[in-house]
Amino acid sequence: MTAMGSERLLEIAEEAIGAGGADDAEALVYRQAGGLTRFASSRIHQSAWREDLWVRVRVVVDGNRVGTATVHSADPEMVRATARRAAEVARAMPPDPGYPGMPGPATYPAAGRHDQATAAADPATRAGLVAGVIGRLPAGVAAAGACETRELEIALANTRGVRAAGATTAASFSILADAGSGTGWAEGTEPALADLDVAALGERAARKAVDSRDPRELPPGSYPVVLEPNAASVLVQWLGWLGFGAKAYDEGRSFLVGRLGRRVCSPLVTIVDDATAADTIGVGFDFEGVPKRRVTLIDRGVAASLVYDFRAATGHGVEPTGHGLPAPSAEGALPMHLAMLPGQTPQADLVAGLERGLLVTRFHYTNLVNLMGTTITGMTRDGTFWVEDGRVVGAVRNLRFTQSILDALASVRAVGAETEMAAEDGYGAARAPALAIDRFAFSSATTF
Amino acid sequence: MEPEELTELALAAAVEAGAGYTDVRWVRQETEGLTVTDDRVDDLEAEDSSGLGVRVLVDGRWGFAASAVLDPGRAGELARRAVEVARASAAAGGEPVRLAPAEPAVAGWATPVGRDPFAVPLAERVELLLAACDAQRSVAGLAHAKATVDLWRRRTVLWSSEGARLDQTVTQTGAGIEAVAVGDGDLQQRSWPNSFRGQYQAGGWEVVEAAELVANAPRVAAEAVQLLAAPQLPERVTTVILDGQQLSLQVHESVGHPLELDRILGMEAAYAGTSFVTPGDRGRLRYGSPAMSVTADATTPGGLGTFGFDDEGVPAQRSPLVVDGVVAGFLTSRETSADGTGSSGAMRADGWGSMPLIRMTNVHLEPGQGTLDELVADTRDGLLLSLNRSWSIDDRRVNFQFGVEAAWEIKGGRLGRLYRNASYDGRTTEFWGSLDAVCGPEAWVVWGVPNCGKGQPFQNARVGHGAAPARFRNVHVGVGR
Repeated sequence: MTAMGSERLLEIAEEAIGAGGADDAEALVYRQAGGLTRFASSRIHQSAWREDLWVRVRVVVDGNRVGTATVHSADPEMVRATARRAAEVARAMPPDPGYPGMPGPATYPAAGRHDQATAAADPATRAGLVAGVIGRLPAGVAAAGACETRELEIALANTRGVRAAGATTAASFSILADAGSGTGWAEGTEPALADLDVAALGERAARKAVDSRDPRELPPGSYPVVLEPNAASVLVQWLGWLGFGAKAYDEGRSFLVGRLGRRVCSPLVTIVDDATAADTIGVGFDFEGVPKRRVTLIDRGVAASLVYDFRAATGHGVEPTGHGLPAPSAEGALPMHLAMLPGQTPQADLVAGLERGLLVTRFHYTNLVNLMGTTITGMTRDGTFWVEDGRVVGAVRNLRFTQSILDALASVRAVGAETEMAAEDGYGAARAPALAIDRFAFSSATTF
Repeated sequence: MEPEELTELALAAAVEAGAGYTDVRWVRQETEGLTVTDDRVDDLEAEDSSGLGVRVLVDGRWGFAASAVLDPGRAGELARRAVEVARASAAAGGEPVRLAPAEPAVAGWATPVGRDPFAVPLAERVELLLAACDAQRSVAGLAHAKATVDLWRRRTVLWSSEGARLDQTVTQTGAGIEAVAVGDGDLQQRSWPNSFRGQYQAGGWEVVEAAELVANAPRVAAEAVQLLAAPQLPERVTTVILDGQQLSLQVHESVGHPLELDRILGMEAAYAGTSFVTPGDRGRLRYGSPAMSVTADATTPGGLGTFGFDDEGVPAQRSPLVVDGVVAGFLTSRETSADGTGSSGAMRADGWGSMPLIRMTNVHLEPGQGTLDELVADTRDGLLLSLNRSWSIDDRRVNFQFGVEAAWEIKGGRLGRLYRNASYDGRTTEFWGSLDAVCGPEAWVVWGVPNCGKGQPFQNARVGHGAAPARFRNVHVGVGR
């Protein structure tokens, strides 16, 4: 049950588009395999290995009738049946006057990193890392979390000559340390397992848990904050979902409507989408077979660019940026390799520069309040501290924030020099530095 | 190879490799999602996913392995890999897992379906959604109209080393419309019958027909346009009536999740979180007012959490969670109820590739009496809050904040002006303690929540909530803009 390899995946894709009788056809083959070891109350309580492979076929008949079908199988007969099903669907669909055709052959940039040791990591390796971290916890501290290793292979072929294939790996380790009346958190995500310092993550979480004991109540209000990278990455991810796609912009459901080309936040803030960065996880082409390009979304505080799939790019008369989802898509293009660029201030100095305010480790259960205002809400958790004269003086009970992301980024006073990638399980990932923000609105408090 | 052959091969291989308790699930899940925006089909996803998952206990440790690639010999490989995973899990020590006894069932079960939704011609589905969009677009000032239909069917063949032999097929259908108005730097949306792609129930095409998308479209579109011109809801403390749709999510987030026993025991601490409820709170903790009774019921017709057997083979059950405001029970599994209380039949996986977790089935707020009109007439000053727009709650399920699509002022027992961007927040037991009236059975509907997230790797569950409109006193409203 090892990697299938680009050649085999492309064979499957070519099998799917080879049936004939279509004006255009495309097949996307996606394989993911890996293991995840979960622990809670300082014991491994769930551990799993899973391999999935799906083939999505898009077929166009009568020039502009489009149908798709997906099957989770590599069996040639099932793949061919899925292609026939996509053609049936296409024949039943109304014409799509805006059908833009499919992309043609291209040269793809190097992207992602495939680490064989990560792809081959066995359950004993993951369990050993977990046991090692648990074994080093201080007395009175228990832990929960997960260690995951996985491999992704992807291939795409279409009848216009596109043949794209790539592979990447990812490893993550997360730990919540529980010291009774306080909890602490740390996580890391990297392309290779060897790049994760799980011992350091365990020590960081345990230290935060101990420091979080006996939190005092703080009234809701607007406070200066330092957001650690994990919390800052949540703001970056939300901003990415709220309107950088050209389709969302065209339909008026983007916060960038009326703001493109204008200053939207502090000049200290630059956000890019870059699948070609060495420290991200991905391949060099999107789900339509278009090369991924680095796009600067916010350039020193100015809303700079949208991202385009093939359809939106054709409509706008521009080059697609390589951010297409499997087409046709009601969502349109999305930035999926977001990063806020680091600043000049060492992270430790951000706290040292805070006269009175909060240090936030992590957010929990964030959700949209107002799209156009980029307002989201969520809770702090696992390490929320009060800072005075540049020093952490104690823990505070967790607070709910209800805050416009753009307003927060407009009051960024300093940007950390180090970045971390944070991955909200099931919701993508973004790399971000710590941020010192002058005003951050906390609307209510909880009891712990 | 037939599903029964694969499960039998995997079961035998697991036992041979040293597994104790073993269950093997072959699952085929078919979905078709159709989205029409304005005058064109915006998206159509038809997916057919089948695979095999093997779960084993070896020396009291769980191991799980699953694959969609079912080559010859793969069933045995998966079983041996699951055993390898379980053996590795002993590294961190801890108490071994014990399971509550369960009678191994040999049975079949299927959702009652009126008209098979997958047999409804695609052209007929497209025609309906285009008509629903046309009817919305007849309203001046609307920016976009959307209409959706989603079909979902899952067949599960479950065999266990204890002798369970189960074959069940669950069919669910959903449909809805969303009207979007845009202007002056704002975006407002109004949906029907529920937000986030509509109402979902177990059953067939009759669920779509019951939604009456075309008939409701002009009203929904007009409300979206009205919202754009409506004032922002001011911040204050007042009485609120939640409609059944919003109340179903309130029950979901602030009652269902906190009473999942795996959360209470800390098994989900790192991701979804824990609970303010403790194991000793059964029969003791006052959760809400005497008007609050909540039941978990996997037998409710039409519920997304309705089935014959859970993914451990435990039969569907009806059990009280809160009675007259006091905690009466939890959602449990065989592992978490090995103390003799017995599983409540709430272990569910989101497909062949996931381990079952404790999930809500259908968690209902039991009805009271009267209609929504009567409840409004009985309210001197307050708000009627309708359809969810946003939700968030802390990791112990205490502090919550919800946003809704629309809020109508209630003055002297009558509905008045419309407000936009309405929200309310509170703390769980204080909020449920302020419940003073629930509408009756005639207003009680089983609403579907098809997007409940939990677990690592992330799993998505489909759950149901019976709810009728209900009234709460002294609620803080109007946070955020």
